[in-house]
Amino acid sequence: MNRRRFLTILGSAGLASALSTAKTAHAAGGTHTWPYHENSYGVLHDTTRCIGCRRCEAGCNKVNNLPKPDKSFDDLSVLDKNRRMTPTSWTVVNKYELNGKPVFRKLQCFHCNDPACASACFAKCFQKQPDGSVAYDGSQCVGCRYCMVACPFYVPSFEYDDAWDPLVVKCTFCEPRLKEGKLPGCVEACPMDALTFGRRSDLIKVARARIKNNPGKYVDYIYGEWDAGGTAWMVLAPSAPVAASKDSHQATGHEFASLGLDTHLGNRPMGELTGGALGAVPMIVAFWPVLFGGAYAIAKRREAMHKAETETIVKEAKEDMAAAMDAAVRKIAETQGPGMADTARQAMADALKARENTCANCGHHGEDK
Amino acid sequence: MAHNIVIPTRDKLFNLGEFFTLTKGNILTAFILVGGLIITFIRFTQGIGSVANLSDVQPWGMWIGFDLLCGVSLAAGGYFTTVACYVMGMKHFHSAVRPAVTTAFLGYAFVVVALLYDLGHWWRLPYMFFFPGTTSVLFEVGLCVATYVTVLFVEFSVAPCEWLAEKFPFLIKWRALVNRFTIILTIFGVTLSTLHQSSLGSLFLIAPGKLHPLWYSPFIPMFFFVSSMAAGGSMVIFEGMLAHKGVHHYMDATHLKEADEVTFSFSKAVSFILFAYFMIKFTDMLVQANIPYLCSGYGAIWLLEMFGFILLPAFLYAKGSRERNLKLCRFAAVNTVLGIVFNRFNVSMIAYNYALPSAERYFPSIWEIWISCFVVTMIVTAYRFIVYHMPVLYEHPHFKDAH
Amino acid sequence: MRNGTTLLLLAAIAVAGAAYLTLWDAGPVPAAPALTSVSDAPSAMVIFPVGEKPNPEGVGMKPVVFNHLVHENRVDDCESCHHTGETVACTTCHTVEGRSEGKFVTLDQAMHAPNIAKRVKGNTPQSCVSCHTEQLQRRECAGCHGIVKPTRSEAYCNACHNVAGLTKADMVAGIAGKLPAKRNAQLAADTLKARENPVQLQPTDGPYKVMIDGITDEYKANMFAHRRHVSSLMERLKDNSLASAFHSQPATLCSTCHHNSPLKSAPPKCGSCHSQRINPANPERPQLKAAYHLQCMGCHKGMNVARPLNTSCVTCHKDNEAKPVDGAAAKLGGK
Repeated sequence: MNRRRFLTILGSAGLASALSTAKTAHAAGGTHTWPYHENSYGVLHDTTRCIGCRRCEAGCNKVNNLPKPDKSFDDLSVLDKNRRMTPTSWTVVNKYELNGKPVFRKLQCFHCNDPACASACFAKCFQKQPDGSVAYDGSQCVGCRYCMVACPFYVPSFEYDDAWDPLVVKCTFCEPRLKEGKLPGCVEACPMDALTFGRRSDLIKVARARIKNNPGKYVDYIYGEWDAGGTAWMVLAPSAPVAASKDSHQATGHEFASLGLDTHLGNRPMGELTGGALGAVPMIVAFWPVLFGGAYAIAKRREAMHKAETETIVKEAKEDMAAAMDAAVRKIAETQGPGMADTARQAMADALKARENTCANCGHHGEDK
Repeated sequence: MAHNIVIPTRDKLFNLGEFFTLTKGNILTAFILVGGLIITFIRFTQGIGSVANLSDVQPWGMWIGFDLLCGVSLAAGGYFTTVACYVMGMKHFHSAVRPAVTTAFLGYAFVVVALLYDLGHWWRLPYMFFFPGTTSVLFEVGLCVATYVTVLFVEFSVAPCEWLAEKFPFLIKWRALVNRFTIILTIFGVTLSTLHQSSLGSLFLIAPGKLHPLWYSPFIPMFFFVSSMAAGGSMVIFEGMLAHKGVHHYMDATHLKEADEVTFSFSKAVSFILFAYFMIKFTDMLVQANIPYLCSGYGAIWLLEMFGFILLPAFLYAKGSRERNLKLCRFAAVNTVLGIVFNRFNVSMIAYNYALPSAERYFPSIWEIWISCFVVTMIVTAYRFIVYHMPVLYEHPHFKDAH
Repeated sequence: MRNGTTLLLLAAIAVAGAAYLTLWDAGPVPAAPALTSVSDAPSAMVIFPVGEKPNPEGVGMKPVVFNHLVHENRVDDCESCHHTGETVACTTCHTVEGRSEGKFVTLDQAMHAPNIAKRVKGNTPQSCVSCHTEQLQRRECAGCHGIVKPTRSEAYCNACHNVAGLTKADMVAGIAGKLPAKRNAQLAADTLKARENPVQLQPTDGPYKVMIDGITDEYKANMFAHRRHVSSLMERLKDNSLASAFHSQPATLCSTCHHNSPLKSAPPKCGSCHSQRINPANPERPQLKAAYHLQCMGCHKGMNVARPLNTSCVTCHKDNEAKPVDGAAAKLGGK
């Protein structure tokens, strides 16, 4: 998850984290540019096999000690409505219609290879484990629910009704059971092998074989092989050819869309979408002070130049004035005598002073408009 | 006029009389605050679900969409004004700086307060510094907002210092220190603002499937930043307008004289920014080949936002500043502010989860809206308290050296 | 549901009885009314892998006997197969190597192409396989043939590629396209004769009921009405000449369920390959429980068997009272 080299401005914590980033990326290797666990587990969900019996829901409920639901798991009428995961049911089966026939799909956490939730969490609550599961540790969860915004599959749910310890809840891949060598509760409960557990790399081969050996049965696409950077849980869909029509808008993947799966997620991890924005952070931190410091310096300099210029003009004007006064006084002295000249000099000096005073008042605030 | 202003003295530090007169405003304030306190109590003892309509598909609602996104962008007046005054050297905006910094500080402080309502484990908010999720945009937002609140507090702190200086003379030293570092604080502030204003947009980058294509764009951080500048400038005008209505008698001659000029200058600037904002958003729509979406219902909303709340105020601002028409500028400011709120609502609520059936869509509960009003009322009340006590709209006679 | 179970039981007994009685009567297939030819083509012929390359040893795929008479009575008109409009032999244009006249479509492709794109102009050609695959969509066929997939095995190809009394000289001449018409007709007639009345395993050759008890935790062991199922399949096969012709080996019918093992009357148990827990070496191989369910439900789904519902466990499995009350999957976790 820590793929981006994002150096925080403040604190060595960010630096340390970035260093550890480099380490994981190096260790992973392979064809992926983000940490990818070659031997991780996954589950292949073959919707052509699913009969909508809800045994997986019951199995999940059982092994995770979740509270009993209001309607028993034998009650299949709940399938008439589209449901989603809640804090007390971590997986649900929904019924979809494909060419008039019901197709069932199980919803749960897809356990992405590079999960959006982990990328979005600002308190590092989510971790992609080497066994393939995406683990959530609520002990440091702040409850911001950005993971729920980030998840492209609308998986995490939140305990809105808990005031004191509301946490994000999602399928755990039965990680504790995996550690004991047991299958996830839902997989074990599936009577149809609509859920096949195995190494993710094997499952992709299995899925390909099924598509190849049953021409026309499946859509030639493994949902989750690459979607959103790849997921541990993958889905096969029955092919439902669109009635021969010229517009091929629906042609590929419409089956997955009909099963409520987003077919426009792209094949890169969702977290990479924020990489560009986060990558700009150090640039802004480095460049803005220079830019605004420069602007400040320019403004200062302009002010100083303006002031100097004004001073020069005022000085020149004053000198001109003094020269004119001298000339006038000399003229008066020549024609009317020195006494008259003194009076005139005095009067002119007074008038000048008075004018300067009024000017100083008027220009006090608006000097830099 | 200055003699009308009640300046707290050493003996009479507080001037709370204004709060206890029976005016319509005070009664409404009391009503909202009391109701808000009750909802607050329920929220923190019964959980978020007891008051909010939030769901698993709509984890962020009114409290993020309005209190956080709008709160932060509308508090952009702080960096906008300080940059204009200190960095660009437009000294005649000086009297606008303190009100802008005050409202920005209050805005951010109460964004944090409002955030606590939305956080499940609100007391763990500092955890992000202990377990920094550096790949998260939210981490960047949190880090920048936390830092920026501190910067704003420092910038703002000169006002309470001046208020309390007579009683606690050591505050004068702090005030002098802050004043010396004004330019550093300003540049630090604008850097942080650029980062988190844009990052609020980046938050949605990770959810391309959920946000309608007309609003989702790789450039959404830029849209958020540019629009925050417009929001900042408009909020200064808008708040000035409100202040003139409510606390006119706390403004000194300088403030009154400069206020109109501030309005016109900011109008001109915001007009340019809004034009630019319109252009980048429009170009982005074209580049992303989103024209087909314009014919849908969301297209109508987008067009309304673009033309009614970006282009229209841009024109009004341009006309208003050219003709020096105060009323028009203020109308444009209100128009812009509403436009920013509209945009943030669109991104976080209206165009979010656009693909879901309407039954699963979100509409805020009355209590969520009340809490949002409660927060706004708290800001207004705090602002009034500050204005009544501290030299924000006037210059303190003892500290005339501020220029 | 208590009454329903009784009712179902009664119905099952009735059906089983009826099936049994019908089988009792089942004698040799009554001769079909004689077909008359509308063309002047021979009634049956051997199609050789005609090639232009010299082939003195006569090496090639075994030829196929084509019963022209039967087929011409089943299609709308000659152009269904003779897509060019000229009633010439397929091998005129489609040879092993392909010829320009046949747009280089080889004989192999012309006979086996499964999905032939609809032609914009003219007739859309059909291959043997494409036309016969359409036939498999019939309800009575779709159950097994939704599960069984074509394989390149001798047993599979032999259904068509098999001519009785073929000599090397015939083969060499056939490949060169020089076999006299008389000899060709003789070979075809002999082969068809040999194929008449193929020996089939009878329902009574298999067990009456089979106890399926590989896994018993939540539900009790299931008593599978083996004979009823076989009888039902054979009943549907009986009057269908196409099906009769192709299910030519005694154990062909059995091989949908008893797959991947040599065809014989005493096949191995399902559990010998399908383990109760997923086998990491063969993650594709269904676990035992799923193997049963996939076979049963796959066939029922293909044949549009409305009941039992896939999700109605207790129709087939009796509840195991011994399991813990709160139940679902109780023992699965523990082991």
